[in-house]
Amino acid sequence: MQRSRTALSAMPESAFAYLKVLVVEDNPHMRALLRSLLLALGIRQVVEAENGQQALSLLRENQPDLILTDLSMRPMDGIEFVREIRNSESTVNPYIPIIMVTGHTERHHVEAARDAGVTEVLAKPITAQNLFQRIGEVVERPRAYVRCDKFFGPDRRRHRREDYAGPFRRRDDYETDDDNSGEESS
Amino acid sequence: MTQSEASVELIPADAYPPLLPMPLRAEALLTLRSAETLASANSIIALRSASLREAVHELIRQMRSAGRTASWISVYAAAHEIRGLAGTAGLSATGRIANGFCHYLDAVARQRIEPELDVVKLHLDAIARSARTEADTARHGDAVARELSELVARKLSEINESETH
Repeated sequence: MQRSRTALSAMPESAFAYLKVLVVEDNPHMRALLRSLLLALGIRQVVEAENGQQALSLLRENQPDLILTDLSMRPMDGIEFVREIRNSESTVNPYIPIIMVTGHTERHHVEAARDAGVTEVLAKPITAQNLFQRIGEVVERPRAYVRCDKFFGPDRRRHRREDYAGPFRRRDDYETDDDNSGEESS
Repeated sequence: MTQSEASVELIPADAYPPLLPMPLRAEALLTLRSAETLASANSIIALRSASLREAVHELIRQMRSAGRTASWISVYAAAHEIRGLAGTAGLSATGRIANGFCHYLDAVARQRIEPELDVVKLHLDAIARSARTEADTARHGDAVARELSELVARKLSEINESETH
């Protein structure tokens, strides 16, 4: 959701001032903390939801630019919420960056988040430094997206290794001259 | 072109609107990396640490109560919340012990086996004690967290071994 030039020229002190962020988190303490940390960056428009279902109903009218979501929530958890955003026909913006903020550091949970289409994962306990680093990743390195039969979401390959020997399975592996190798990361 | 190549579409990052337009990115990154922003954010966390600790203590009460009735799903739910909050509340050892406990409970639940009561009791007591003795957390809590982490690693290895046999 790109803002108009008029909006940008009237922009106040922070580069983040016109962004709207949706925070989806069932723990009120964590929600309040995330809101305060976003405010420290100059983000004043923060919309809060307690679970994925509530967040989906807020998406259309609020059209956020960035989402921070927890994983464990009821009745709809963060994984299902992310899948809805990425894959539903009625989604407002399937490309919206999503940072999953979760204490679930077990491998299978992180893989489930990745497979649902999250942009970044931030492990709790959160620190200001880690949160800002993840937001920085989203700002500095917008990800390409991949669409295939079973997945739509950010490209998992963040780096291209010179010495990667294959296998090469994607069309762009052959189409680009300077990016002649690929690597599955994350 | 093989079937798998044909079914994968790569959408480059410049095909959709970015979070911030290019002219604002450098300024945004400066804000994110500035010592002043970080100090301000850390002071916000410090201001909230008392209420976060209160929340952790309440979760510990819920976890112990669930433990008395062997309600492992509720024990896990509370321990999971504790691992998420405790570190930010300045109770880092409590958070680390809760994290190891969650890894253990998650592993036994996936294997559909009952957790060992001794392992559960050790963790419940250690979490409660480390959260209570804030001043000693750095010294004693860290040592307990290390030992329990070794115990969890041993148990996870046993669980994994039983899975492969």
